[in-house]
Amino acid sequence: MATAQQPAAPPPRPIVLPGVPPLRAAQGNEFLWRKLHSLLGIVPIGAFLLEHLLSNFEAIHGPAAYGAQVKFLNSLPMVRVLEWVFIFLPILYHGCYGVWIWLRGKSNIVYYPWAGNWLYTAQRYTGLIALLYIGQHVYRQRFSGIALPENPYASFHKVQMELQNPWMLAVYIVAMIAICWHFSYGVWLFAAKWGITPGTRARKRFGFVCAALGLLLVVMGLASIWAFVGGKYPNVPAEVAPAVSPLVQPVSAAYPGIVQA
Amino acid sequence: MKQQKGSGALAPEGSLAKLPPMKGIMATKTVAIEIKRQASPDAPAVWESFELPWRPGMNVISAMMEIAANPVTADGRSTTPITYDSNCLEEICGSCAMRINGKARMACSSLVDNLEQPIKVAPLSKFPLVRDLQVDRSVLFENLKAVKAWVPVDGTYDLGSGPRVFPQQQEANYPLSNCISCCCCMEVCPQFNEDTGFVGAATIAQVKLFNNHPTGKVFKEERLRALAGDGGIQECGFAQNCVETCPKQLPLTEAISDISRDVIIQKAKDFLRG
Repeated sequence: MATAQQPAAPPPRPIVLPGVPPLRAAQGNEFLWRKLHSLLGIVPIGAFLLEHLLSNFEAIHGPAAYGAQVKFLNSLPMVRVLEWVFIFLPILYHGCYGVWIWLRGKSNIVYYPWAGNWLYTAQRYTGLIALLYIGQHVYRQRFSGIALPENPYASFHKVQMELQNPWMLAVYIVAMIAICWHFSYGVWLFAAKWGITPGTRARKRFGFVCAALGLLLVVMGLASIWAFVGGKYPNVPAEVAPAVSPLVQPVSAAYPGIVQA
Repeated sequence: MKQQKGSGALAPEGSLAKLPPMKGIMATKTVAIEIKRQASPDAPAVWESFELPWRPGMNVISAMMEIAANPVTADGRSTTPITYDSNCLEEICGSCAMRINGKARMACSSLVDNLEQPIKVAPLSKFPLVRDLQVDRSVLFENLKAVKAWVPVDGTYDLGSGPRVFPQQQEANYPLSNCISCCCCMEVCPQFNEDTGFVGAATIAQVKLFNNHPTGKVFKEERLRALAGDGGIQECGFAQNCVETCPKQLPLTEAISDISRDVIIQKAKDFLRG
């Protein structure tokens, strides 16, 4: 004889409220994707930005030094893998995910015009400027025109030709400021959101550090642009006499016995 | 010097004679207030204007009490009293949060004399509307339940006294315990919306409070994992509006920063433990 069974209780109905849904406690993977976005902004993208701005700064020493720097970078082992894994793909992810973050936020700067809210908004606009700029910059400088990996000494010529156009010059200046802003505030945000600077005073002090960093990068970046358009090195040809980068020691100096071809 | 002694917060008695004569308790000065009204969640929203007699120390809640006593609009039309939540009238219960001149704040501590007129009063915009200025803020309760924001001491027998909380810890916890669940931090947050389903600063601050508690921390790991769910702490964009607006000055950004670190460490530990 079957024992009398209680009819199975219907599963509790989830509470669905109109409006903002409650926390989906411990469900989903958004945390991972968001933290990946955050981390990629510092490493490798931020690290690459510093490298790029330092390399650009070589331009103030002239076309030969700049070309040598480009040659050095292209001589890194597995450089094509490095640029895809540590530069192109992270920027693509960081940029696309960033746009998605922006679309999901509802700016209320009109009602709450506070400093932090302005910075929140500025981070989104500077990020968009950076993404659009990087898209055209990578296309025009890396994937079209003279191939710089094969012709590193044509670098100065190629950038100088690009900046001949006053509109393009304006784009570069605006993008330089926007990117340095986005990076330095991004460092501050990273420290705040990863719990490195939890205290109000720590955040304020680190804010000055990040502002100084941003200012330094903007000055360096604009100085590099000036090296191309300032008239010190006018009409640099595509062929520049190779110079030895101070970063690359000639083989003959390191190994006196070996004679270079 | 003697003549100035009476000046200050209270006007010297002699100056009352200079004021125009009052008719009963009615003052000649009036207060203009505009209220966004909605008879039901589906009804269209309309703005109604009111002209009220000014009283000293008047706040937005007392203004609405005046309207309830005489529900007539500025153009003389009879209307219904305003529906709104309020209770303590001393900024401690968290009921009367609304948007006053566009900004989320407590109506009871919004003194009419400090507000630009006409005072525009609207319900909180990110919570389901019930009627007029009353909204349903139960999402906060759901969120607090989702992170187990309590100290588990219920049992079938006497558990005895709890562990001691050192004064230093009490000092750190007290500001976090001041939360009145008004939801202002969530209303002003650009990330708190239907797309993100962000949990909001108030819940994160309560996670910090209960994780700091010597008995409450038994749920520490669960709370941190809960906050790593979709709509969790990662959605914070650090616009810092929450800490700017909080009527009880909770250290909300500090709590978000601290708990964010704890969540990252917890997730890393969970990943490495497999």
